[in-house]
Amino acid sequence: MPKVIKEPGKIIIPSDVAYLQMLDEFLEETLRGFGVSESDIADIAISVTELANNAIIHGNKENPEKVVDIRIKLINGAVEIIVSDEGKGFDTLALPDPLTEENLFKENGRGIFIVRSLMDKVDIKIRKDNGTVIKLVKKIKRVHK
Amino acid sequence: MKLSQREINDVVILEPKGKIMGGPDATLLHDKLHELIKDGKKKVIVDLAKVDWMNSTGLGILISGLTTMRNNGGELKLANVTDKIESLLTITKLITVFENYDSLEEALNSFKT
Ligand SMILES: Nc1ncnc2c1ncn2[C@@H]1O[C@H](COP(=O)(O)OP(=O)(O)OP(=O)(O)O)[C@@H](O)[C@H]1O
Ligand SMILES: [Mg+2]
Repeated sequence: MPKVIKEPGKIIIPSDVAYLQMLDEFLEETLRGFGVSESDIADIAISVTELANNAIIHGNKENPEKVVDIRIKLINGAVEIIVSDEGKGFDTLALPDPLTEENLFKENGRGIFIVRSLMDKVDIKIRKDNGTVIKLVKKIKRVHK
Repeated sequence: MKLSQREINDVVILEPKGKIMGGPDATLLHDKLHELIKDGKKKVIVDLAKVDWMNSTGLGILISGLTTMRNNGGELKLANVTDKIESLLTITKLITVFENYDSLEEALNSFKT
């Protein structure tokens, strides 16, 4: 199993949901360092753990040899996050609407919908045989430290 | 997330604390809800006062707990939904599905009738 790699603005985790906690700690620490408000930190952590869950489960199929790569930076008053996996991708246009009557009681299928509502920009790129790369942008209100 | 449980009369109160984001402790909450059904518990309140936030994993656990409860003649209600979680319930329309109360007391009273 690959080891966790953690540097400023970057964390790489093995495909195991047990690492989500560590990812959340990394996000909170980084975003506090950027001076991001607690409310925006929560929205970003919800969204990034959402995408990491997907990358681990749907993308890498929990293969312990595959990793999820997360980068985070502050540019022009916005936080930009990139989440990449090593899976086969998916059809972003075929995602079911979680709000319909028949889907409302389903246990799954809300993740990407939630990310799209919380973030200002969600850009999904499927690299054929080379994984999914999702870029998120969230404009933030900075707090004085 | 940490999970504690208590019982007042015949109502089980679950109090998760922290964040529900997926991983081992989310599984714990999921399994707990399904275990209660097996134990014949039909009145459950999930008190969310100490939950900072959840993602779709948490919402999925709540909705599957609710469905299983209702299918067995029981009910799962929410108490003390915080702002972050309320806005998630609103955007996903799940707010229309759950009975939710501003305090534990009100949730408990709602089971009395
Ligand atoms: N990184 C990924 N790689 C491959 N497929 C993905 C990836 N992310 C999402 N998907 C596909 O898109 C679907 C929708 O993802 P979404 O997060 O919205 O819902 P979910 O993961 O099925 O359920 P939930 O997130 O509500 O628990 C997934 O079921 C999966 O088929
Ligand atoms: Mg998902």
